[in-house]
Order: sequence, then structure tokens, then C-alpha cells
Amino acid sequence: MSLIHSQKGNAAHQVFPFLFVSLSLGIGRFLGLKAGKVGILLVYVKALSYKGKAGVKLEMKKVWNKLRKKEKKPIEYTEETESNTNHQKLETNLEENIKNIQETLGYSADIIVRTFKIGSSSGQNAAVIFINGLVDKEHVGNFIIDKVMNDHRELNSSTAGTLFTGMKEQMITVAEVEETQEWNKTIQALVSGKTILLLNGWDQAMICPLKGGATRAISEPSSEQSIRGPQESFIESLHTNVAMVRRRIKSAHLRVESVKIGEITETEVTIMYLKGIANEKILTELKERLQKVKVDELIGSNTIEEWIRDGPRSVWPTIYNTQRPDVVVGELMEGRIAVLVDGTPNTLVLPATFIEFFQSAEDYYMHWSIASFLRMLRLLGISSTLFFPSFYIAFLSFHPDLIPTPLLISLAAQRQEVPFPLFIEVLLLELTFEFLREAGLRMPKQVGQAVSIVGALVLGEAAVSAGIVSSATVIIVAATAIASFTMSNHSMIDAVRILRFVMIILASSLGLYGIGLGLIVLIAHTSSLRSFGVPYLTPFAPLIFTDLKDTLIRVSKPFMSTRPRLIAQKKVSKTGNTDTLGPAPRDRQTQENHSQRDSNEY
Amino acid sequence: MEKAKISSIQFFLLLFMFELGTAVVVARGIEARKDSWLSILLGLSAGLILFLVYHRLFRYYPSLPLTAYARKIFGTYIGWVVGFMYTILFLYTSARNVREFSEVLITATMPEIPLLVVIVLFVLTICYVLLLGIEVFARTAEILGIFLIFVGIIGNLFVYVTGTVDPNNLKPVLEYGWKPVLETTFSPPLLVIFPFAEAIVFAMLFPYLNRAEVVKKAGLASLIVSGLILSYTAALNIAVLGVSEVERSPFPLLATVGKINFLEFIQRLDALVVITLLITVFFKAGIYLYASVTGMVDLFRLKNHRQMILPAGLILVFLSVGIAEDFAEHSQEGFTIFITYFSAPLLIVLPLVMLMIAFIRHRFTKQRN
Repeated sequence: MSLIHSQKGNAAHQVFPFLFVSLSLGIGRFLGLKAGKVGILLVYVKALSYKGKAGVKLEMKKVWNKLRKKEKKPIEYTEETESNTNHQKLETNLEENIKNIQETLGYSADIIVRTFKIGSSSGQNAAVIFINGLVDKEHVGNFIIDKVMNDHRELNSSTAGTLFTGMKEQMITVAEVEETQEWNKTIQALVSGKTILLLNGWDQAMICPLKGGATRAISEPSSEQSIRGPQESFIESLHTNVAMVRRRIKSAHLRVESVKIGEITETEVTIMYLKGIANEKILTELKERLQKVKVDELIGSNTIEEWIRDGPRSVWPTIYNTQRPDVVVGELMEGRIAVLVDGTPNTLVLPATFIEFFQSAEDYYMHWSIASFLRMLRLLGISSTLFFPSFYIAFLSFHPDLIPTPLLISLAAQRQEVPFPLFIEVLLLELTFEFLREAGLRMPKQVGQAVSIVGALVLGEAAVSAGIVSSATVIIVAATAIASFTMSNHSMIDAVRILRFVMIILASSLGLYGIGLGLIVLIAHTSSLRSFGVPYLTPFAPLIFTDLKDTLIRVSKPFMSTRPRLIAQKKVSKTGNTDTLGPAPRDRQTQENHSQRDSNEY
Repeated sequence: MEKAKISSIQFFLLLFMFELGTAVVVARGIEARKDSWLSILLGLSAGLILFLVYHRLFRYYPSLPLTAYARKIFGTYIGWVVGFMYTILFLYTSARNVREFSEVLITATMPEIPLLVVIVLFVLTICYVLLLGIEVFARTAEILGIFLIFVGIIGNLFVYVTGTVDPNNLKPVLEYGWKPVLETTFSPPLLVIFPFAEAIVFAMLFPYLNRAEVVKKAGLASLIVSGLILSYTAALNIAVLGVSEVERSPFPLLATVGKINFLEFIQRLDALVVITLLITVFFKAGIYLYASVTGMVDLFRLKNHRQMILPAGLILVFLSVGIAEDFAEHSQEGFTIFITYFSAPLLIVLPLVMLMIAFIRHRFTKQRN
């Protein structure tokens, strides 16, 4: 602004800047405000009217800053966990150690302390401490207590220290053992389900991860079913899940990195990727974002997703999730990164692209032609979920002249009895359907049948015959519902479920024009999204021709010789190409392959 | 200038949709009667030469938009005025396009909606997408451009399947000789200008392109493709409707598509044309608005272009409502006054002058070095 005022030579400078700049600073910022800050108008007008011309800008800036900055008071935590304060190191006295542990854990009922004398001549006291239910008791008995009690070899027991080392080296037959002096580490190991062995007179603890207890067995995936693919899905145990992926990729390049997230729950989160294929930049970005996650509890992978995702206000899912280990393997091979969270079978995969949600696991276990057909069917399904009801409303209430006459007559005849406007009618049915769906999901399985019978009867029969809704609307809503179930990924269906209502409102207020504008805004919004730096609509926008081979159609496997360009970075090409496709040439050319039929034969 | 990059495919599609814009719906070059398709092709060839002029100017100043290099060429003060004229021209043309689209929408599909509502919503949509940035705008163009090509193919298919196409309507070619064809192309209202010379607005966007060396190739290809489509559409309209009906109809393409009747079920595909028009005009008006905003930012040395988009959009709304009483006046204004007295000098004469001066300047600086 000051620059413009300094150029006073030209007359145009005097008039037009005023027009544009005042408009830009005044109305522009005003209109650019979020809803709910309407109060700024008054303050703004005041600022403009009271202050002199020179002061206007300054004043406006002040007002602006005031409104923008909400004073954030840092939340202070006064409580501190007791375990951190009292003890730094373990004591040498066994009794005291046990007492301290019991006190720290508040004499919890599920803590088991087993004291015994070790079998060698010294007869020192020792104790095994673990939490009931998290530990395989049989293993503790067999590999620790039994070995220590019943070993009568003469160990060098001059000091407690050498005895302790002797126990570790010669007695205990647990595969993985760790020694520590740290108090916090001991407690942490105990509460995360490991077994602690303490020896009287020595200030170290032996940590033996003999984890046990009940976990769910590996079962079929509940949502992403496949006929020809593997039938197993992830379970709640992180280590089993990691192993399931590891079992499928026997490569030294598969990296597994683990962090603990959650101030109180200390949940283990594991990042898996293929070194050399995964994009290093995305990996660093992911690690940075994971570090910023500050939560007390981490239950399920959605908490992580909401903390690290791009476009938090967008309805589109910008992180892919799956329950299938074979899907995770496929994604890792494309250069993506998997985030596994302890306690949930849902695994996050990133970066996600829009088309990824349409690629079901089954696509890769079928012939490419049917896979491509099904993929387009899914796209059609999701777009009809989004647009079917709104097109129905738009055509019937705004553009009846565009409907072929016979169809219009039959539709109009059906609607003659209906007392509601079309918008209300569609909305009513859509809501009823959503009720049914939600009820069907949350109900106990035994009641589910009742719900479906009541729903089908009430919706399908009674409402139509009572003349409350027209059967055409029922058909439309039902078709929409069925179409939405063609997708295997739930986060995408959920996004479309919401957007469908927006489209219905647009269509019922502006007809086809509203749908058109809504479509443009939706596409623009979608293409403005990025998932960890990768544009959400790749490979369509920006268009990448080589990556189109696994989108609308899935080409035959040998032709998929490159990895997605923006996702994987380094090794773009895969092994194998189409040069060697088909049977190898024979020595005597193809003569042998021909049937040995006599040419005279008919 | 915004920090953004546009790929050559995106540029191709943007220019393609820009050229189709409103031109595909209104009857261009109908003064040449049956040979209007020929005069459009002639206009295209002249448009290609003009594009080379704009491109040459861009090569002289590869990092600057039109308004900025106008100052380099004419000097600070005259250059500023020239740049300002272009800015105003872009805003005004944007308003004309918005108005044209709204009129088509209201006449063709929804007569009961007020003009202001249509325009306000349309401009708001444009502003929203522009606020997301020119990159998002270009990516949206990619998706919708491909959708548009698909719609075009479907539409053509139905026209042919219906069987209303009569190529005899186009015969005889050059019934009255070359004279009316040449007159239509090169006398006012010039066919060169609308839509081909309008490509000058891309002089504001050239600096965003990620590969400067393919600008020429992509631009010419896009112009040729869209010119051929326009010429083909003009021929198709005449083949389906006959010359007299095309002359009488304000939007001949709507009438052509309205003739579609496939299996007595797929009929009245006017909505398809209106959706096509919605998308193309969305991009055309959007590019104009963006060019105008870039011009303002450049001329008034503002730091941020985002703060100018909504005010410019507001001007756009009132401009397009107040531009004319009705569509007849609007067309009259456009084809007589606007094209002759505003477009022709700014889109043809001035760029040629600028090219000459730039050429001389570069010669002298080279010699001095």
C-alpha cells in the first residue's frame, strides 16, 4: 500500500488503487473469514471509520491479530506418576525390592510374587514377580523356577553378583534375557507382561519376556473378504501381526521400527517398510508426525490416524487401513509404509491415494479382465451412491421435461398419493435406511434378524401401500444402499455416505446446476488434498500415464513392471518384464507344438 | 506470483476447455452460412499465428506475466496503463462469460431461478477453487477435461445413432465463393478473436509452466484440436438443423442435441450440453479471473494474490449482472462494440506492437553486449 502511495506521478495511481485495495483489504478479508466470526464486521467498520487514513492499516492489523490469536494457556500437569519419583535404582535387599514393587503398584491383586531358595549350596533367596494373566505360568515354572531350584551344581557363589551371572549363564533356559539396574525399566517390564527375577543381595533384575495369556486366534477377515486369496486377517496382538507380514516378505530389506505412544498406556506402534523401495522423505515425515502425537491413551489405530493425517477437515480418508496381511504386503511392495498398532487388527498404510480405496485384495487374485470390470463396477457403485438420489430429486422436481415421457408418467402416477415434497420423502427414506444400517451393526446378532424383517416390511410394504412414500423412491434408496456395499473399504463408504446428503440438499435447492457446482467443488477439494506429500488424485491429476495401469483397469501382472512413481522413490522398476513372456522357442521352431495329425485326415 | 507449477498436459487441457468455453454453444461464423466451418478453420490459422506472437513475447520475458513485461517494454508509466487495460479487459471478459453461461442455463434448463443467484453461486465456486491455488485449478481441469472428452464422445455417438445428420445440408461448399468466408473471418466481429486470440490470457499463466520448452507445442496442439472441434461442431449443427434454423437459434448446439432420440428413451440430452458448458465456462471465467487477479497483484505490488480473489469475484458478480439488460443487448454489445473497439486492439494490435518493441530492445541490448 505504501508503495502505491509513493508513486504519485500518475493520476491512475490515485483513483484505482483506492478502489482495488480498499476492496481487497476490507471486503476480501471480511468475506474470507470463517463463519462464526461475524463480530469482526462491527469492529472492522469502527476501525475504518474512526481512524485516520494512515492509521487504518495498523489498526486493522491489530484487530485482525486479536481475533486470530486465541490465547492458549498451556495445560499444566501437577500430578506426577509416583513410580518416577521414589526410586532410581534397585536395592540389594530382596525383601525391600519386593515391598517397593508392591507399593508402587498399589498391592494390586493380580501381581504374583513367588519367593524361593535357589538350589545351589548357597541357598540364597530369590523371587519371581509377574502379572497374572499376562504371563505363561507354565513356562515360568519350567524354565525359571524349576531350573533354579533343582540345580545342585556348585556355582561360583563367592558374591551375589557372580551367582547372578551364573544363574543367567548356566541355569535359566529362557531364550531372551535382559539385566537391568534401573527401577523404572523394571516396573515398565513388569506391567508390560514380562517376568522379573530378583536375587537377594544383588541390585539387578533379570527380565524374561515369557509373555502368554489369552489372545484371539487368527481368523478370517470380517470386512475385506476374498474368495481366492489367503483367508487370514490381523489380530489384536502386534507381534503376531508383524510376524504375519514378515512371513510373507523374506527379505533383509524389510525394516520394522517400534515406538511407544501414549503417556499412560505406553502402546507399542510399529512402522514397517521396505528399505530401498519406500520413499525416505515420506518415512522421515511420518516419523516426525509420530513424534508429535501427544496422547494419554492410544486405543486402536484411529487415534494415530487422526493425529498424523493430512487434511484433517476433509471427509476423504487420507490414510488407508486394512485388516489383511496380504494387502499390507502388496502395499509395502509398492513402496508404501505400514503402521501397526498394538491392540487392533486395523493397520494403517500410507501414503494413500483415492484410487487405492477401490483396489480390493481380490483384484490381484483374479484374471485381469474381470478384476478391471469389478473395479469399474465399484467406481460406478460409489458414484451412484453419491449421485443417484440427488439426480432423482433434480430431474423430478426441476427438470421433469428431460425425463422420457413414459417414465415420467409412471413416476408422476406413483407420486400422486404421496403427501410429502420429494426432498422430504427422499430424506426420510435415506434416514430410515441409515437407522436400519446402524441398528443392524450394533444389535446383538440374535436380534438382527428381527430388525431386518421389521425394516423390510415397514419400508418395503407398509410405507408404500399406505401411500407415505412412492415405490420409485424406495427403489432409488435401496439401489443406492446396495451400490454402496460394493466397496470393501469402510472409510470410503463413510465419506460418501455423508457427501450424499450434501448432494441431496444441493439438488433439491438448485437442481442439476447445484449438482454440477457441487461436483466441481468436490473434485477441486479432492485434488487439493495430499497424503504425505503425494497428491491424492494421482495418477489422474497430476496425470501419470505409466501409473494408470493399476487404476480403472488392472493390466496383466507381467505388464506392471514399475512401481507408482510418486510413492516409491528409488527402485522404480520391478523385476521381470514382458520380453520373456510366452513359451520359450524350440530348437526345431514350432513344429513340435503342432498336432501330429495326418494332413490327409479329415 | 504464486509459487506453483502447471504441467504441459494440464496446460493443454486448460487451453482446450478455455477455447471451447462458450464458443461451442453459440453460432460462430454463421454469417458465412454453410461455410461457417471453413471460416472457423481460417480463424484458427490466424489464431495460431497470434499464439506464436504471444509465445515469442513469453520467450523474451520467460519469468514475467503479461502485465509485468508490458512495463519492461513500454517503460514504467505507459506500461502500467497498458497492463491495467489488460487487467480490466480480463475481468470484463470473465464477466461476459459468466453472464453468457447463466443466460444459457436459465433459458435451457431452469427458467424460474433468478439470474443473480445463478451468477453468485457460480462466481463463489470459481473463487473457492482459485483460493485453493492455481495448481489445484489445473488438476481439477485434468479430471474434468477427461470427463468432458468422454461426454463429447457419448453425445456425438447419440447424434449419429439418432440419424438426424444430413451431410447434404452442407452442400454446396463455397456456394458464394471465398468472399463471404473471408469476410466473416477477417472483418469485425472478428472470428479470430473469439475464441482463438483470447489465448492471450495465458500470457499471464505461462510463467507457471514447468517446462517452458513445450509451451509452444502444447499450446499449438491444443488450439488446433479445439479449433477442429469448433469447426466440426459448426458443421454438425448445420448438418443436423439446416442453415436457417442455426441462424435463428441463439444456442444451436442445444437444438442439435435436443434432436437426439435413441430408442425412444434417450432424448432431451440438453442437460449434457449445459453440464459441458458449466465445466468449460467455469474454467474460462476462472482463468480470466485469475489472470485479472494476477494483474492486480502485479500492478499494485500486493504481496498475496489470495486476498484479491474474493473482491475481484465481487466485482465480477456485479459486472456480469449489470453488463446488459438482457441477453440480446449482451450479444449486441459483445459482437459489435466489445470485439471491435476493445478486443481487436488489445488482443491483436498491441501484442504485435509489443513484439516489435521487444524485438528491437533485445537487438540493441545484444549489440551493446
